[in-house]
Amino acid sequence: MTDHLLAASGLSAGYKNIEILHGLDLTVPPGKITVIVGANACGKSTFLRTISRLIAPTAGQVLLDGKSIHRMPSRDLARTLGLLPQSPIAPEGITVADLVSRGRHPHQSLFSRWTRQDDEAVDSALSATKTSDLAERPVDELSGGQRQRVWIAMALAQQTDILLLDEPTTFLDINHQIEVLDLLIDLNHTRGTTVVMVLHDLNLAARYADHLVALASGHVHISGTPEAVLTEETVRQVFGLESRVITDPISGRPIMLPIGRHRIANPQQQEKRA
Amino acid sequence: MQSAAIDVVITNRRGRARRYAVVLAVLLALVAAIFAVTLSIGKTITPPAEVLRVLLGEAVPGADFSVGQLRLPRAVLSVLAGLCFGLGGVAFQVMLRNPLASPDIIGITSGAGAAAVFAIVVLSMSGPMVSVFAIVAGLGVAMLVYGLSFHNGVAGTRLILVGIGVSAMLQSVIAYILQSAPAWSLQEAMRWLTGSVNGAQLDQALPLLLALLVFGGLLVSRSRDLDALRLGDDMAAALGTRVAQTRMLVIIAAVGLIASATAATGPIAFVAFLSGPIAGRIVKNDGSLLIPSALTGAVLVLAADYIGQHLLPGRYPVGVVTGALGAPYLIYLIIRVNRIGGTL
Ligand SMILES: Nc1ncnc2c1ncn2[C@@H]1O[C@H](COP(=O)(O)OP(=O)(O)OP(=O)(O)O)[C@@H](O)[C@H]1O
Ligand SMILES: [Mg+2]
Repeated sequence: MTDHLLAASGLSAGYKNIEILHGLDLTVPPGKITVIVGANACGKSTFLRTISRLIAPTAGQVLLDGKSIHRMPSRDLARTLGLLPQSPIAPEGITVADLVSRGRHPHQSLFSRWTRQDDEAVDSALSATKTSDLAERPVDELSGGQRQRVWIAMALAQQTDILLLDEPTTFLDINHQIEVLDLLIDLNHTRGTTVVMVLHDLNLAARYADHLVALASGHVHISGTPEAVLTEETVRQVFGLESRVITDPISGRPIMLPIGRHRIANPQQQEKRA
Repeated sequence: MQSAAIDVVITNRRGRARRYAVVLAVLLALVAAIFAVTLSIGKTITPPAEVLRVLLGEAVPGADFSVGQLRLPRAVLSVLAGLCFGLGGVAFQVMLRNPLASPDIIGITSGAGAAAVFAIVVLSMSGPMVSVFAIVAGLGVAMLVYGLSFHNGVAGTRLILVGIGVSAMLQSVIAYILQSAPAWSLQEAMRWLTGSVNGAQLDQALPLLLALLVFGGLLVSRSRDLDALRLGDDMAAALGTRVAQTRMLVIIAAVGLIASATAATGPIAFVAFLSGPIAGRIVKNDGSLLIPSALTGAVLVLAADYIGQHLLPGRYPVGVVTGALGAPYLIYLIIRVNRIGGTL
């Protein structure tokens, strides 16, 4: 069980001459699953990049257990906080086992030797993501879904108490999406790993989140339980989309049905849009 | 099942380590072998025993001069320059994840070369001051190219194109200075146009050795961070690499290596550009490319100089031979990168 507390306060950050995050306040509940949703380009990836210190904040800070992460030794941070970026790059010809082993990077130094513990971490990451059979295959030759599972394995091999994932379910078919999300929940239950992930599917977000956060143009629009966050009003304000929110008979969580311009059987809904 | 998978992981890792060790050993042996051949077989053949006696400082009539004064300085300078070019080149290629981003393509070598020619011809400087001048100019060009092409954190094709432009400009600066220096011999001019180890002196080796120890040491100590950068900036940062700081250090170290070598031998064409990809072919993903690429650079310079001196009709400076090797590869890469956007 781990209870590292990760929080951003008044966080502003961006790129050369544009600010993307404007005074973002967000506390990640320890030992829980937090899901971040928001429209394209609202700053989700930028937020994760700021947390992993690729970008320095222009104002505010990110605190881990009360200490500013920008003042922590990098390896210490990388052993507590892992991140699977939205588009990582696999070196040409690298094998699955090799790539997943790279997750052990922060646990090693220039002179330290590879230990049994490292092998075991890689092995358990492979088996948790059902990629053991792919271990010797080159990553270039895998399908998009297999590759995504390999990247997740790499993040798992890092064995951090907090795991951030930027759209971990892209490229996956529905079965593998559910499998990955279940896997993250397992990880959360068995190891107490705090999971923060960006998802685009609002219904899966509401189903799997303990804590749901909706970002809009660089700040937290609303956050809380899925019931409190996934409402018709939120969907309208954050995504500019009309919808109906009902209760999912499977999970008892809210589920959102979009209302577009076409394919609407019930005339009442048509009126609502107009 | 569980234990079978972990066996795969372990075998895989041991295999990588073993293959990497073999590659290093073979490359080292190759450098040593060509070095030995260079010392003993030239216009005349000197038996290995005599070469050894010269190396140990004994006076050997005949061999004294040809081995001690001609071949040894030449071979030593070739090895050191090759190591510097190979190391500096691959550092840039790995850091920018693009084989075309090598210092000799993006203008850093020409910058150092232009500065060295300017220092020697116009300012009448000599010795280590020329290297310092070249390093400063090389850094200046690196910053210029970087600054002109860094658009919102992405340095892709833009950097290459800007670099090629800057490089062409600096090449013409070199040509201009050479032309306005009437007392210049063709041989010396060739040194600044394509690179050469003709007329090598042992005291030229000292600044190179120093650069190799300082800048090469710095790079090798950062090899893990460089390796992490191959997974993308985001992933490298997530693994605990300070991306901006690593970049800065790598640029300084690589420019230091390239510029020092250029100040000594001129811009030996394409060695920085070729070494990394050749080493990459051999090493695959079995380990860091830095040292294999440095050794490949040494092999290239030694072998190309030997070919240029003894195996071709007529004598050619080393840069002419490496240039002939590198040009077709450059064309191949440009075609390939255009199609798929390649990495190293
Ligand atoms: N490297 C960069 N340099 C400059 N601007 C960038 C960079 N990366 C992203 N941006 C800009 O920052 C804004 C936020 O991008 P970000 O990647 O954080 O969005 P996102 O919420 O993750 O979107 P998506 O859902 O599409 O992944 C966008 O306008 C984008 O164009
Ligand atoms: Mg994103």
